[in-house]
Amino acid sequence: MRLQSAFKAWNEFFFAEQSPTPIALFRVLYGVLVIATLLLLRPDWLTWYGIPAWVSLPTALKLEPGARLNLFSIIPQSDAWIEAVFWLSLGSAILLTIGFMTRFNSVLVFICLTSIQQRNLYITHGGDTFLRLAGFFLIFAPAGAALSVDRLIRIRWGKERADIQPRSPWAQRMIQLQLALLYFATFLLKLKGAPWLQGTALFYVYHLDELRRFPLPSWLFHPTVLKLGSWSALVLEFSLGVLIWVKEFRYILLALGLLFHLWLEYSLNIPLFQWDILSAYVLFVDSDDLRRAGNWIGRSMDVHFLNR
Amino acid sequence: MQRAKYIAINAFLAFHILAIASWCIPIDSPLVPLCRNLVRPYFLGAGLFQSWDMFAPIPKAANTYIEAIVVYQDGSRKTWTFPRMEQLGLTEKYFKERYRKFAENLQRDENDALLRDAARYIARLNSNPAKPAKTVILIQKWSFIVPRKDASYVPEPWEQHMLLGYGVRPEDLQ
Repeated sequence: MRLQSAFKAWNEFFFAEQSPTPIALFRVLYGVLVIATLLLLRPDWLTWYGIPAWVSLPTALKLEPGARLNLFSIIPQSDAWIEAVFWLSLGSAILLTIGFMTRFNSVLVFICLTSIQQRNLYITHGGDTFLRLAGFFLIFAPAGAALSVDRLIRIRWGKERADIQPRSPWAQRMIQLQLALLYFATFLLKLKGAPWLQGTALFYVYHLDELRRFPLPSWLFHPTVLKLGSWSALVLEFSLGVLIWVKEFRYILLALGLLFHLWLEYSLNIPLFQWDILSAYVLFVDSDDLRRAGNWIGRSMDVHFLNR
Repeated sequence: MQRAKYIAINAFLAFHILAIASWCIPIDSPLVPLCRNLVRPYFLGAGLFQSWDMFAPIPKAANTYIEAIVVYQDGSRKTWTFPRMEQLGLTEKYFKERYRKFAENLQRDENDALLRDAARYIARLNSNPAKPAKTVILIQKWSFIVPRKDASYVPEPWEQHMLLGYGVRPEDLQ
């Protein structure tokens, strides 16, 4: 490949304008997941983050030193202020979901979410991490350019045309890259573990009582099935990290990834993790296909929101 | 202006792609730790740190939980256990899963500093003015997951190990 071709490919990938509908749809899913995360935590806001929490603020700061984006370390130390941060997070997540003051609320949600995680990193899982990282790049995306109250207001004031204008997708690409790196990194890490290579890893995973959700069929524990399962997970994680960029493989891999995560959602109790990851799949769907799906749903439900 | 913006965005993209890749891709190269150290302050500060070690490289090979023995001033004692997901209903375990994650992290050597906070919290949870806690003993319980030749599974006996013995101070109960 010549250098000029590489520059051209880079520009095409990050800057060729496309419909902002996928990133807007991701914004809606992202907002719903942040709201769900906060509501699931609601009974324990003060248990995990209050003044007499399981991990005190001084201990958290001692274990995770350095300058960090953490509202909890700058607000007055009282439970009322701590609850206020959570209500602020919830409010801004709702506004982000509907797309009102989208850019401002995407910044606010990222700051709040990062603060919540920084305050107590010992209860977060990979899904939380992904929401935090996607939230960072969402700040830079034209996430309010479709499916948003902002857009309806702009149209009403005559500042925007009724048809959706294409936008540069570079921030969307970063979220896609982040998702692909997630799969690729976990694939490489698994390659370093003998149980994954020997095909026995799932035996251990399925026998972790604390993670089990629904009953698993007995045939799943047959050595051959366990081996096939362990190795399939490796192949799929590699494919979702690398081959997902090949257009011809994309939809089949997204479908397999969807089945993979739905299976994990059935078998393992890691609340919201699978949905956090799956939410970003929509970014890999072609905007024309999304529009067609939107039209089909619109015809079925007599709702034409995607075309507004 | 447009050109300056374009250059700035490209610099932002190139930096973040390289930084994130060097942070989370586990390859053995002397350049990787160098890059990680360079971006560490920014990543930790801005919240871009990440690790994707889901069941990797080796899945956990034991069922574990943490139990606390609370000894009171009057000499009586009580056993308190972190919510155990396998003993909760479907809805409850969805809400309480963070306890599993926290208990898992409490058992890691690098998180020893968390144990005292946890002991204090358990002391507060299990005390009242008439019956204050005097000592909290945190005990890790585990049962190894051992595959047999025919891949059948019989739970191994539970073993235990004391994580911390903590003398409760009056101010801990405030």
